[in-house]
Amino acid sequence: MAITTLWDVAYFMATALLGLVGRIIPPLAAPLGNVDLIWGLAALVFGAILLAASMINTIMLIWFERKMLGRFMDRRGAMHVGYAGLLQNFADGLKLFRKNTFKPRDADGLGFYAGPTAYLVTSLLMFGVLPVSTGWSDGSLPLSMLLALVIFSFAPLFIFISAWSSNNKYSLIGGMRSAAQMIAYEVPILLAVVAVVVVSGSFDLNTIVNEQRNFWFWTLPLTLAMIVFVTGMLAEMERIPFDLPEAEAELVEGWNTEYGGMLFAYFMLADYVRALAGSILIVLLFLGGWTLPSYVPAALTSFPLAGIFWLMLKTYLVFGVFVWIRAALPRVRTDQLLRIGWMRLIPLSLASVVIAAAFVLVKCVPVLGCVPSMGG
Amino acid sequence: MESNPEDIRAQLTAAGAVGVLAVEPFDGAAARVKFAPESAAALFQVFRDALGFTHLSTVGGIDWVTRYEVFYLLWSDATKRYVILSADLDAKTPHIETASPTWPSANWHEREAWELVGIHFDHHPDLRHLLMPDGYQFHPLQRAFKLHEPEELEVKVRHV
Amino acid sequence: MSEMWINMGPQHPMTHGLWNLRVRIDGEMILDVDPEMGYLHRGIEKISEDRHYNEVITLMDRTCYVAGMAWEHLYIQAAEKALGITAPERAEWIRMMSEEFQRLASHIMWYAAFVQDLGLMSPFLYGMRDRDLILDLFQAYTGGRLTYEYMRVGGVRNDLPEGFPKQAREVLDWLEPRLVEYDRLCMGSDIFRSRCDGLGVLKESDCVRLGVTGPMLRSAGSKRDIRKDRPYSRYSQVEFDVATADAGDVTGRYLVRMEEMRQSIRIIRQTLDWLDHHPGPVIADHLPRWLGAPYAPVGREGYLLKRNYPKGVGLSAIEEPHGEACAYVVNEGGEHPYRVKFRSPVFANLSACSHYLVGYRVADIPPIMGSVDVCVGEVDR
Repeated sequence: MAITTLWDVAYFMATALLGLVGRIIPPLAAPLGNVDLIWGLAALVFGAILLAASMINTIMLIWFERKMLGRFMDRRGAMHVGYAGLLQNFADGLKLFRKNTFKPRDADGLGFYAGPTAYLVTSLLMFGVLPVSTGWSDGSLPLSMLLALVIFSFAPLFIFISAWSSNNKYSLIGGMRSAAQMIAYEVPILLAVVAVVVVSGSFDLNTIVNEQRNFWFWTLPLTLAMIVFVTGMLAEMERIPFDLPEAEAELVEGWNTEYGGMLFAYFMLADYVRALAGSILIVLLFLGGWTLPSYVPAALTSFPLAGIFWLMLKTYLVFGVFVWIRAALPRVRTDQLLRIGWMRLIPLSLASVVIAAAFVLVKCVPVLGCVPSMGG
Repeated sequence: MESNPEDIRAQLTAAGAVGVLAVEPFDGAAARVKFAPESAAALFQVFRDALGFTHLSTVGGIDWVTRYEVFYLLWSDATKRYVILSADLDAKTPHIETASPTWPSANWHEREAWELVGIHFDHHPDLRHLLMPDGYQFHPLQRAFKLHEPEELEVKVRHV
Repeated sequence: MSEMWINMGPQHPMTHGLWNLRVRIDGEMILDVDPEMGYLHRGIEKISEDRHYNEVITLMDRTCYVAGMAWEHLYIQAAEKALGITAPERAEWIRMMSEEFQRLASHIMWYAAFVQDLGLMSPFLYGMRDRDLILDLFQAYTGGRLTYEYMRVGGVRNDLPEGFPKQAREVLDWLEPRLVEYDRLCMGSDIFRSRCDGLGVLKESDCVRLGVTGPMLRSAGSKRDIRKDRPYSRYSQVEFDVATADAGDVTGRYLVRMEEMRQSIRIIRQTLDWLDHHPGPVIADHLPRWLGAPYAPVGREGYLLKRNYPKGVGLSAIEEPHGEACAYVVNEGGEHPYRVKFRSPVFANLSACSHYLVGYRVADIPPIMGSVDVCVGEVDR
């Protein structure tokens, strides 16, 4: 069996583990050889690997941002813990972990503690939905893209809960802004996704990615949709220039003003988990996911875990663009943000749906030629 | 800018100003005008409207132990020069009419002069503590306030 | 959401210092503001009454911690007038150069803090990087990077070290293209323009009425600049233009400060040229010892021991980086000033804040207050 995907790795590990136990204790060999058992264990191993990998990737993403921002700002970024500061974020996490978690006297306990926890958990749920390479969830989740977007849009609820229960005016204003902003940008995002669905003919992320290998100029008819989607994602992730809910100059830290220690770390981590998931989503929807265009030599895509490698490479590049934007742009104001959302992005996303529909009708792009066959 | 008290004196006479006690030369300003505190309000108007001193730079007070002095530093954009107004106030209850209606910028300067020097500005729109805590009972820039003696300080914290 | 008061400060990222802006808001709209000052009140005017004339200089560095040289210059001029002492020609030029360097450093610091309030982090670090070069220069000839204690009644503490003009010119050569870069990062950005245009508007007549001075006043179209209108030091002998703008909004203040930096570089270049060709003493002879110069120049002769106390009142006004600053020093004969009164430009600019804040949004407070360039040490003194 060729190991090409993460699932293969997990399956291999489960088989090996059960085989080893069976070798040591011979009477258990037969029951342990049960295929269902191996599948179940493989699923657990897979989940553990996925959780660990996504956490490590999130932390690496923070490192990546710090280093890249450092370069943009004519400095070096973190340098002291580990090689080139690679372990700095682990040290920071450890520091936050050791800190006392406190609750303001008048804050509402349930919301105050449950908010950040639920925020982090739902953010991590994204990785259960996003396919990271072939063979991950094929066929099992025909509406995986919708599910991903639904999970992604849980966030304002929990942000608002934790902001409100903090019993702090800054938190409350930040939470209100956050809710208004995410709701405003939910609409163009979904409309932009409609364009993708129209072209690919499927709600399944696997199908969408595989479609993109078939015709390499995929992004061309979807350029407008991608611009809208990326802008909306920036707002959903609350990154500069759309980081109003935690605009530090006016709202201190926005909705997480009252949080410290590990609860703050939850917020921080969840923000970057969402940034990672959002970047992966952009790669999956518009940039070919784990595939490369069909004319690329096969050697580039056939080495072990090639799919995950290409996916992560693209993801980091997309995130790099976000960091670049952060280094170069100031923050917009609330009313300007909402105006951009409702009055610019929604018409643009509607236009992108029209363009996608026209493309499906003609199935051809000038100069580049026509699509051989459409899926879905 | 040369000191030019004659010019100021002539302009004041032309404007019919009352209460001017003396117009002295002063290095760095057109003149130092001593005036009687009772005629403050009218004199401020004269200086702003007739003499063109539209900008009130600062208001300060000096504790001379036997009396208080309050001085106003004015600037004229038209003639590009300063003038100092100064009035002697009695030591017991130093008070003078506020300059806020004439120059709104006097608001904070007078608040500061009131709380630090202890000169009361009559009809001031908002004579609250500015630099010192609310309820502070001393006037630090008075000569009687010794720098090296610890003082009893009662601070009322305002909750918002 | 109903109306509510929120406290911005004393520990709030917007304040850039210790003060409290109480804001009454309805949703995002500002209905009323009430600044509360005094968190940094150190009683500098009171302490000065207990100090020798030269010892007050130490306090001047702390008055405004980003414009120490300018405040030293302000006080020194008033003290010299009150005492009837004049400084040598070269000292005056060095003071003028110091003030202009300080203006550059202060404006760069303002730029860094201002853009960071808008969410732009990179220019903040560019600004801090470039300000450091000016602090290096200060260190080269005063030994201090923030608190210099350099000027003295009757001159300056020491002459410029060898190689200083070259180093200074290198810094200026580096800064000039950087200013263009700053400008591109801000004025080239649509978001920046949409955040700043038409914000915090204060018309010229209102500025004059409310005592607002400095770049805020000039951004509204006025040409009042003490350096031009009432030249002190040797400003009458250098060429420079007064930077103005028309709108009186945040963008206008930004443009004025940017232009002022260019003019400062121009002034410094002329000053350096003059200093190259005019060596001489930098502190007056026959200074009375009771002035209390803790770092009196070594080997200097001619201190008078007899206590001849002159009397006098000194008034000086300078164009500090934030606006018009005045000092009023009363010398009643004696080793200490009888009364020292300072006019802080930020004090007056801030007192008008309800006029340029009310009616805008909460998100506009950081850029507007940033454009005022609040230095709390100066307000509270």
